[in-house]
Amino acid sequence: MLKRQIPLAIVFLTGMATLFGWFVDNVVFETFVNDTATQWFDIIASFAMILGSLNLLRVQGEKVLRRKRNWIYSIFAIGGFFFSITVGFLFRGANYVEISDLGPNQGAISEVIASAENIDPKIAAVTLSLVEENEVFEVSRIFITESGAKQLVDDLNANGAKAEFKSKTWGGHILEKGTLFNWMFVYLFTPLSATMFALLAFFVASASYRAFRIRNFEATLLLISGIIIMVGRVPLGSLISPWFVLYLIVLGGGIVSNSYFKDVKRTFQITTGGILVVTIAGFIAGWSPDSIYFLSFPVLQEWIYSVPNIAGSRAIMIGIALGMVGTSLRIILGIEKSFLGE
Amino acid sequence: MMKTLLDIIVKLGSVDRRVIFLIIALVVFLPLIFPVGLTIKPTDTTRRSFEAVDELKEGDNFLMSFEYGPSTKPEVNPMAVAVLNHAFRKNLRVYITCLWPDGQFMAQDVLAEVLPDYDKVYGEDYVLLGYRPGNEAVVKGIESNIKGLYTVDYANTLIDEIPMMQDVNSLSDIDMVFSFSAGYPGTVEWVQYGCDPAGVKLSTGVASIQVNEILPYENAGQVLGIIAGMPGAAEYETMIGKKGFGTSGMDAQSVAHLVIVLFIVLGNATYFIERKRSQKTY
Repeated sequence: MLKRQIPLAIVFLTGMATLFGWFVDNVVFETFVNDTATQWFDIIASFAMILGSLNLLRVQGEKVLRRKRNWIYSIFAIGGFFFSITVGFLFRGANYVEISDLGPNQGAISEVIASAENIDPKIAAVTLSLVEENEVFEVSRIFITESGAKQLVDDLNANGAKAEFKSKTWGGHILEKGTLFNWMFVYLFTPLSATMFALLAFFVASASYRAFRIRNFEATLLLISGIIIMVGRVPLGSLISPWFVLYLIVLGGGIVSNSYFKDVKRTFQITTGGILVVTIAGFIAGWSPDSIYFLSFPVLQEWIYSVPNIAGSRAIMIGIALGMVGTSLRIILGIEKSFLGE
Repeated sequence: MMKTLLDIIVKLGSVDRRVIFLIIALVVFLPLIFPVGLTIKPTDTTRRSFEAVDELKEGDNFLMSFEYGPSTKPEVNPMAVAVLNHAFRKNLRVYITCLWPDGQFMAQDVLAEVLPDYDKVYGEDYVLLGYRPGNEAVVKGIESNIKGLYTVDYANTLIDEIPMMQDVNSLSDIDMVFSFSAGYPGTVEWVQYGCDPAGVKLSTGVASIQVNEILPYENAGQVLGIIAGMPGAAEYETMIGKKGFGTSGMDAQSVAHLVIVLFIVLGNATYFIERKRSQKTY
């Protein structure tokens, strides 16, 4: 009863209330959909993140313990997870130095700051000259370790200033540049993510070289559309004259005629005739691209994007939407119980 | 003579894939160092995006949402920079939200790049609300009650203490939304849960791979325009007259695309020659 009926009742009531909220003009339902339900979702989503993290640990940990295939990579996943947790929640790595009194020797102080921030001492001197009396000056460099910040404090105090080191607040340590978390994001996460995505270019080149073959009619359509999109999307495409595209069409016509008639003589006649017609037409039109602009690569790619592509996308979207309606109704009515683990 | 030519084509066709990788690396790398400066002509979708922002009046509320991460940064970041430049030039009040956790870092990077050129005050001219978990529920929350969802901004400043948040309670108080998206949650969620129900204008900048998914919405008028991938970013940069990373990346992308097309042609030529030869053998 507790395990089955109550969850099913909750799903039914919540689902129906959400559904009514969209169709019924009632303040209670509207408030539920627009406000209460979304806030519940936010809270549940936050907990889901914790569950997701635990699940990642469980799956990767199991791989390592049972020495499954490629288990060595799971060690990096677990290590990365704990490193992120540490720099996010346990170790701020965001120390900075505050100077409450610059002291009499501002020239030396500006040199110490310039050395710490790796800037020109003249710039540091100008910055310090703008600091008003009794104003606390914060050195912009962030130190990951306390010892680094302490060293700077010692150097400043040795030159007559009154300096102390502090840590950025929790939360602030994620946002500031130079903190350990920021270092992890900029120097580990960003290059790794970018590398993974950039590898696509190499695989696309290699795969298109080996797999994009004119094997049948569908493959040919795909190939031609792919080439038009690839060339038409970039500035180079607009530099290619539509007359050149017309010549390509004639050559394509020759290939089609050869496949259909299997007669070399006829193919030669069609191709040569086509080339002659295009050349004469080109001379008459003065090879002006505007006269047959509809055949330029950018226009052709725009047409492929906005006509056949949209038609296909819409069909898929409508199919998905109908599937979602069906699945949602099955869940609300308690027919689909996979979320209960059944 | 003919046989030699065919042999050369077949030999080129059986080249090791590491050679292809090297060629691709070179054709991407060289134009970045030695730019050609190809002419960039804006497409209709980019032009519509530009016009949608351009039609806004000074002081209008403009929400930019960051839904991408470091993997798609080279594609989406240039368009975010270009649009923020455009918004600041027009003195729009910019509200920044993030549906992706790493989107907040992307937003901070874009602000850091654009802000030095303008005299803008945080909380009066722009605000970074930051990331909230919940995907489409976040969009729904923004649509119905922004202050219920964002009680503090990214730096934990109370939302009621931020001047430009005083008269903004829900999405209907925003004049236009611009989503920078590289997947889920992104532009589709803004259409379905935010801008359509609230009747707010929406335009988008997306990674090339996502254009297909968004085009039906643009065609139906639910999205005013699309900045599509790096070419779109370059076009937007051209339209605002401020060249950036999008423009400089266009030469590399152009040459890379052309080389891939040449590979396809070569691969097919090899395929046909080998097929013909094998037919003769049997």
